[in-house]
Order: sequence, then C-alpha cells, then structure tokens
Amino acid sequence: MNKGFVKLLVLAIFLRLLVSAFLFHPDIKTYNFQASFLKKGVINIYSYLINNKATLPIKEEFVYFPLTYFTVGGYQAVISSFLGPDFNTWLTDAGSNSMVNNLNIFKYLILLKLPLFIMDISIAFLLLKFFKDKKDGKNAFTLWLFNPFTIILIYAFSNIDLYAVLLSLIAFFYIKRDKLIKASVFIGLAASFKLYPILFVPFLLMKAKTTKEKVLSVLVPVLTLFVVIVPFWSPAFVESALVSGLSTRIFSPGFPIGFGESIVVGLFLLSSLFFTGWIFGKKIKLFNYFVTMLLVIFSFSHFHISWLLWISPFLVILAVSKPTLKWLIFFWAIFAISIPLFYSDRSMTISLFRIYTNWYDFLPTPFIITQKFYDPYNFQSILHSVLAGLSVAISIKLLGKENKIK
Amino acid sequence: MIWFTSISIMFLLFIIPGLMAGLIDMIPAGDQPGYSVDSRASIYRDRYFTQYFISKDKNLTAVATSIKNPNLKNKKNIIFNLYDDKNVLTRTTTLNGMNIEDGSFIKIIFEKIPDSKNKKYHFTLSSPDAGEEETIEVFLTGPTNEILNYIYDEVNKPGGTPMVTFHKPDSSPETIKLVYINWFSKLLPRHFQKI
Repeated sequence: MNKGFVKLLVLAIFLRLLVSAFLFHPDIKTYNFQASFLKKGVINIYSYLINNKATLPIKEEFVYFPLTYFTVGGYQAVISSFLGPDFNTWLTDAGSNSMVNNLNIFKYLILLKLPLFIMDISIAFLLLKFFKDKKDGKNAFTLWLFNPFTIILIYAFSNIDLYAVLLSLIAFFYIKRDKLIKASVFIGLAASFKLYPILFVPFLLMKAKTTKEKVLSVLVPVLTLFVVIVPFWSPAFVESALVSGLSTRIFSPGFPIGFGESIVVGLFLLSSLFFTGWIFGKKIKLFNYFVTMLLVIFSFSHFHISWLLWISPFLVILAVSKPTLKWLIFFWAIFAISIPLFYSDRSMTISLFRIYTNWYDFLPTPFIITQKFYDPYNFQSILHSVLAGLSVAISIKLLGKENKIK
Repeated sequence: MIWFTSISIMFLLFIIPGLMAGLIDMIPAGDQPGYSVDSRASIYRDRYFTQYFISKDKNLTAVATSIKNPNLKNKKNIIFNLYDDKNVLTRTTTLNGMNIEDGSFIKIIFEKIPDSKNKKYHFTLSSPDAGEEETIEVFLTGPTNEILNYIYDEVNKPGGTPMVTFHKPDSSPETIKLVYINWFSKLLPRHFQKI
C-alpha cells in the first residue's frame, strides 16, 4: 500500500467516524434493543416480541430476517464489555430526550456502527478488485469511499441492509466469473438478511447454460433462504418480516383495468424485463439486468431511504465502466435521496441531528415547509417522476446495443 | 469527488446544525415531565383548570402541554388566560378544539414577556361553550421546580399539567452559540458536560 492510498483510507475512516458519532437515527436503538434478547437466550425473536409486547418498553416488531438478528445480537454479545453496564438501560430507555442526552451516546453509536464500517470498507476493497484495469479499480474504490450518498445512507441511517448488499456484490463477482452456483449461495445468504436479493434469482436463469445449472441456480438460493427461515416460520414471522415493506410496496396495485383488477406497475415492468431478456437476449450481461431491475423498483415504488443502498455499489461500477453516464447517475442519486427527505417523517431529516440539541424538535420538517407553498405529495410525485425518467435513460443505455461492462 | 465528499460531510455536520439553530424562534426551558395517562382533569362549561408555575427564563412566549380531545369532539373555543403573581391578566389567547389532535403536545403562543425570569405566573384553561360530551382534558403530574400547584373543581393540589415553558431567544446568533456549546460540551469529559 502506498502513502497516498493510506491517506485516502484514513480520510475515509475519519469522515465515517464523524457521521457515526453525530447523526442518530432511532432505528439503531430499536434493532439493537430487539437483538439484545439473543444474549438472554431468545432464539425466535418474532414470537417473543409479539408475546411480550405488553411488558416491553419498545413495542415495534422485528422486521428483518433471522440472520440479521443473529449477526447484530451476536456482535452485541461480543462487545458487551466495551459497551459497559449502562448500555442495557439506554436500550430500554423510551424517553426521546434522555436517549440522545445519554453521556455514553457517542461510544454507543460508534461501537454499534462498527460492523457497518467493516462491511463498507470490504465493499470498497471488492470494488478495487472488480476491474481488470487497475486504474478503473482504484476509481471505483475511491468513488465508493468518497461519495456523500453512501456515507449518509450507511452511517446516518444505521443501515443494516449493508449485510445483504455486501453478499449480493460477492454473488455478482461469482456471476462475473461464471460461477453461478457459488453466486446462488451468496444470493440465498443475502436474502436471509433482507429479502430483496431474491428478486435476482429469476435473472440467474438467463445466465445458466445447462439444465442442471438452471435448476441449481434457482433451487440453491431458495433452499438456503428456506433453511434459514423455516425454524422461525409462524404467524409472527410472516406478519413482522415476510409481509415486508418491499413486498407490499412493489406489489401494490397501479392502474385499474376494471372489475376490481389492477396492473401492478413494478411487477409488470420486472416481468417484461425478465421475459424480454430470456427470449430475445443473446449475450446476457446480468449486471445490466440487475441494475435495470433495481431502477424499476426505485422508479415505481414508494421506497424507504435505506433501500437506496441496494443499488449503490452497482451504480459505482456503472459510473466507472461508462463514464458518459456519470452525470446521469449523479442526478439520479440526487433525486433518489431527495424524495424521502420530503416524506412526512422527522427521522428522515431534522431528527437525525437531535444529538446536537433536542430544540430541533420544534422546527418544521421539509414536508411541513413545502405544505405552506405547495402540496408536498405532488412535490414528491414530481421528484419521483424525474427519477423514473432518469432511470429510463440509464436503462436504455444499459439494455441497448452498447451494453458491455468492462 | 474526494473534496466534494469531504466538504459535503463537514457542511452537514458542522454548518447545517448552526443554520437549523438559527431558525429556532423559541427555546423550551426543559423537557416535558412524565405523566400518567390515567390522571386527567376535564375542561368544559364552568369547569376550568388553573395552573401555577415559575418561569425559569426571560422572554416567556409560550406554554405547552399535552391535551386530550377524544374523537376530536371539541370544536369550540378554548380560552387561555395568563396572570402574573399580582393576579393581573397579562396575556390571553384563544385556540379552537378543531386544531387539537387527541393527546397532542399543544403550544399556546403569546407575545413575549421580557422580564419573566424566576417570576410566578398562573394560567387558566377553559372552554365555556363546550358541553359535557365535548370535553377536553389535561393530564396531571406531580410538582417540579417549575410546576407548582393547580386548582381544579375549586380544590388546590400540588403539581399540575406536564407543561413546558418556551422563551424567545435574544437573537439567532445567541441560539446558534448555545446549540454549539451544548454539542461541544457533550464531547468533553463527563465532569465538563452541561447535562
């Protein structure tokens, strides 16, 4: 490692530490409170939280998949001596002011966000090795570490989707090396953290050459996911995790066609993408299909800000591979991150800064400010429509003739 | 991109909090005290609620508390009268029940009282046009160094509604300074911290 590289890494770490310590999204406390039950021997967190709802200080259900519970809970158990004896008191503190005024808040936030940091840096190194051309690899490494979007998405929002993102990227590496079965294993593992990578599975079929490969590329991820979730299968699991935001938002009806039926826009476009590729695609570049699929999801569903991380490493690869798209991708990122900032949810914007002072609680959100001049939902729709337009432009470039990724 | 990212993150962490602080037009004197949802006083017709308190700071400009308006039934006027320690009516404000969501934290704003620091005040909340089925309710809590006592149904008891007083800052730069001081003090070793 040369000096410049080390300097770059030190600066990247410094910026991440600052954001980790100073910006607070309440999700980190909620999922760590839930995962803390692993130390007490609770295995099925879904049933436990529902059965004990009345006596628990935080009532939310565990919305993530089982591997997230074991990873977050396991990590917490390992570092419990560093967190100190007051940590559990903080976790159970439902007071909105006392939780951010806790004297150990910076220590808790940095320690709890440390696994994200490891995943984040691992993605940077994976991207470094992704390209044959070393210069492209270094550009991807630098772009991943130095773009404000991923830093904010990961560290401000304490985004544990990062586990699934890293595993999906590893899967994509194996796809690139034509090792489809290994890729399938990683997609299954990724889906055991967060369900979205399961959407990649049909596209693996397009890449599979033999019947055996076709069967295994579908069966392996589905079986991996099945093995992980089957011990937890219960109404509590289905209600809390399986019927997630993703499934309900992607499959929400679009426009009516009469007699109570509707076309689900997202599903319609995803199936068009799949069947077009399957029937007409000659030399399938799965990367292009993966990115287009994610662009469809973000363009035609009311997404959560943390979902934007799913597409981030792919967009970095794309920006480096096709420099002509870099401005389009930059504007896509600006519009994509702007939309959730106008949701009627304080924790998307002002509440992130509550560590500085809780006086911010009395400031209006961008949603309220917009409401004084214009319908905020219309404004969100305008932003979302532009995002969809940008997605179409990127997709045309990806699925057009010049679709080769270096 | 390295410069753009570093500057963006620094701006987000060091400048935006200051800009947001500059927009704060009133500062709470403290946190809202905890309260039991089962302990409440109903306000309607001639049943009004009187609260005695001490303003901990100058420029008193609002009083806030949680108010129940079950099923938003009260759509009548709610009258707030503020008196000084000599029982002189100092400020009066009228709210409408239509704007009070059930259980929400309502700020009653009035023109600032410059010399309010450490002075005793009391306010009354009444809704004389509301019938028994249009009642609003205030929650009750024990006494603090700000919340002294209350009178309800002609009975005087210690404590009162879990209220917070709000005070107008002298200037925006003053508020910005206070926010940064509060934040930096959290970064210092424990014995230096303000909280």
